[in-house]
Amino acid sequence: MPRTMTFAGFSFVGHWQKITLLLLLMVSVCWFFADTEVIALEPWIELGRMGQGFIHPNFFATEYLFEALWQTISFALLGITLGLLLGFPLALCYQHPLIAAICAFIRAIHEIFWALIFLQIFGLSAITGILAIALPYAATFARIFSDILQQAPRHTLFSLPKGTDKLSAFIYGRWMHMYPQIVDYIRYRFECALRSSAVLGFIGMPTLGFYLESAFRQGHYEQGGALLILFVLLIGSIRFWAKPIFLWLYLPLAIYFLPPIPAIDGQIIWRFLSVDILPPMLQGQPFLSWFDIDILSKVFDWAYKLITQQVFPGMIATLVLAFCALGLTYLLTLILLPFNTRLMMPKVIILIMRAVNLILRSLPEYLLAFVLMMLLGPSMLPAIIALALHNSGLMVFLMARQADSVTVPLTYQPRIDQYSYLVIPNLYPHFMGLLFYRFEVIIRETAILGMIGVMTLGFYVDSNFSEIRFSGALLLLVFTAGLNVIVDYLARRLLH
Amino acid sequence: MKRTHLLSAGLLSLFSTFALSATFTFTAIPDADESNLRTRFEKVADYLSEQLDVEVKYIPVKSYSAAITAFRNNQVQLAWFGGLSGVQARGLVPGSEAIAQGFEDQYFKSYLIANHSVDIKSFDDFPVLNNYTFTFGSKGSTSGRLMPQFFIEKNLGKPVEQIFKRIGFSGDHSRTISQVEAGVYQVGAVNYKVWDTAVEKGQVDTSKVKVIWESPTYPDYQWTVHSGVDNDFGAGFKEKLTQVLIGMTDKDLLASFPRSSFIPAKNSDYQPIERVAKTIGMID
Repeated sequence: MPRTMTFAGFSFVGHWQKITLLLLLMVSVCWFFADTEVIALEPWIELGRMGQGFIHPNFFATEYLFEALWQTISFALLGITLGLLLGFPLALCYQHPLIAAICAFIRAIHEIFWALIFLQIFGLSAITGILAIALPYAATFARIFSDILQQAPRHTLFSLPKGTDKLSAFIYGRWMHMYPQIVDYIRYRFECALRSSAVLGFIGMPTLGFYLESAFRQGHYEQGGALLILFVLLIGSIRFWAKPIFLWLYLPLAIYFLPPIPAIDGQIIWRFLSVDILPPMLQGQPFLSWFDIDILSKVFDWAYKLITQQVFPGMIATLVLAFCALGLTYLLTLILLPFNTRLMMPKVIILIMRAVNLILRSLPEYLLAFVLMMLLGPSMLPAIIALALHNSGLMVFLMARQADSVTVPLTYQPRIDQYSYLVIPNLYPHFMGLLFYRFEVIIRETAILGMIGVMTLGFYVDSNFSEIRFSGALLLLVFTAGLNVIVDYLARRLLH
Repeated sequence: MKRTHLLSAGLLSLFSTFALSATFTFTAIPDADESNLRTRFEKVADYLSEQLDVEVKYIPVKSYSAAITAFRNNQVQLAWFGGLSGVQARGLVPGSEAIAQGFEDQYFKSYLIANHSVDIKSFDDFPVLNNYTFTFGSKGSTSGRLMPQFFIEKNLGKPVEQIFKRIGFSGDHSRTISQVEAGVYQVGAVNYKVWDTAVEKGQVDTSKVKVIWESPTYPDYQWTVHSGVDNDFGAGFKEKLTQVLIGMTDKDLLASFPRSSFIPAKNSDYQPIERVAKTIGMID
C-alpha cells in the first residue's frame, strides 16, 4: 500500500484516507447541487396495487413466456461468445494506447444505445441484440483480461527452456496461471449479460424485458411481479443450469432457435452512414458544398445549440447523479458488508443476505427507480437510490467472498476488532478499485434512468432517437462516451 | 467449433431472407393495453392473410420510433401509426400513404388531468398552469405530448419549459393517470379514450384525479402503407388492402386497436398534425 510521507501538515492521513475524503467531499458537493426534493404524495393506492401484484403473481399472463426466457438466455450466450471472440485478441494488444482508447469508447456507450443504433441498420433483428451485447462486452473483456494477464507471476516464463516459441510461452507462462480467474470473470459476465439481454427487451428485443417493461409501465402488476420473480430465479440459479459442459448444447440450440433474421440490406447501412448521421443541413448535399460558409455556419449553429441546450445540462446532471449514487453505494456497501461476512454473522443471516443481494443486483435499476418514484416523487432521488441499491448489491456480492477468504490469526479475539483492523484494511484497496470501476458503470447506467425522465445525457439521447434525429443522438453519444473515457482515465490515475 | 456456429448462423439467416421476401408484414402498437400483443395481432394477421390471399406477418414493437424505423427499412410495409409517427414515417418514405383511420380518429382529443390537491383556476376557458409540475405521456405520442404541448403553449403564450416547474415524460397514458393520481405530478396530459376506459372500468379514483380541460379535436391514428406494395404484391394491392381494412367488422379484431371501425383516410387529413409538429419544433 503506497503511503505518502510528507513533512508538511497531514502526514498522518494515509493514502486511502485521502482518497476516501476526496470522494466524500465530491459527493457532498454534488449532493448539495442535486435535485433531491421529496414531493409529498399519496402513493398508497398504486403501491397497494403493486404489492397485490407480487402477492398474487400471475405466471400465465405473459404470451410466449418460454420463448422470452429462452431468448433472454440465448442473446446473452451468443453476445458473450461473440464478445469473447472479439475480446481475446483485443486483450493481447490492449497495451497499445489506440486500442485501449477505442475500447474505452465502445465500453462507454450503454448496450441500449448500441441497440438503438444497430436498430437503424439491422432493424428488429437478433443481430441487433447480439451485437449490442457483444461489442461493449468485447471491449470490457479486452481491458479485464489484459489486466488479469498482467498479474501473472513471471517465474514460469523465466523457467521455460530457451527457444520456446511465443505462443507456448504465452499459454504456459501466463495464460494457464490466470485461467481460473479468467473463467471466474467470464462466469460473472454471463450473469451481467443475462441482465443486459433482459434490458434490451425494453426497446423491442424478444427477451423478458419486452414484457416486463410493458407490464410495469401499464400497471399489470400481477404479470410484472411474476416476470420479475422468474428473472430473479433465472439469475439466482445460473450455477445449476449453466455448467460449462452444457454450453456446447446451448450454443447450437441458441443459434438454431434465433428468431428469423431479416436480410441485411447494404443500402440501409450506407444510408445510415452517409445520410442519417449527418447534421440535417448536410443531408443530401454534395460533399464539396459542405464547406460553403453558410452551410458551415449552419452546422456550427446546430452543434452549438445541441451542446448548450442538451450536452452541458445533460452532462452536469449525469455527473451529479453519478457522484451521489457513488457516495450512497460506498456507504451502503460498508454497512451491508459485515452482514455478509462469515466472521461477523451466523449462517442464517448470511443466507438471508445472499437472497437480498441476489434480488438487489438482479432488479434492473430502471424498475427500482420506477417504484421509488411513486414514493418520492420525480426528483433525482429515486434514481440515486435505485443506482446505489443495485450497485451496492453487486459490490457486496463481489466483496463478501474476499472478506471470507481473509485468514484471521488467533491472536485477534473479538469479532468487531478482527473485522475492523484486519478484514477491512485488507480489502480496502480492492474495494476502492471496484468502487471506481463501478463509477464508470454508474455513469453508463444513468443512461437508462434518462429514459424514465431524469434529465441525464441518456434522457436527451433517448429524446433524439424518438424524434428521429440520429445525428443529434450520435453527437450526444460521442460526448457521453468522451465523458466516460475521461472518468476512467482519472479514476486510474487516482488509484495508481 | 464456435466459428462453424457463426458460419451456420450466417447461412441460416440467408435462408430466412428468402422466406421473408414474399411476406406482407405489418406492425401496430395500440394506444391502450399492450398486453398479449402478438396473440391479439396475429389474429389480425390471419384475417388480412385470408382476405388478401398473401402471407401476412405481425412484428411486435415497443415504441413509435421503432415502428417508424421498421417502416422506413421496409421491414414492415404497413403500420398502425399515431398521428405524429405517421407524419414522421411518411416524411421518411416518399410515396407512402395513409389509407385508413379509426372512426374515432377523425375527432380525437386529449384531456388535461389534475391531482385533487391543486386548485387550478381557469382564465378564458383555459386552466392557468404556471408553476405546477406536469407530465406528458411518451415523448413521441400525439395525444399525450404533441397536441397538449401545442394547446398549452398557444393558450398560455410561452414555451412549456417556462410554464411548468417540472416536466416529465411518464412514457404511457395509463402511467400518466396513476402518476397524477398519486401526486407524483400535479397535472398531466392524457389520451381521452384511455382515460374514459379507465374511469369506466373503475381503474382510477376520480376523487383523487379529475379532468380539468378538454382539447379541441384533431386527427390521430391511421394505417400507413409503403409505396411499393403494388409492385411487390400485385397491381391493385393497395386498394384491396384499404377495402379489407375498412371491411374489418369483427369486434374482437377491432378491440385490439381499440377502435369501433375503420374508415378511409388520406395524407392531407394529417396536415394539421404536421403543422403543429413544425410549430413546436418536433420536426424540422
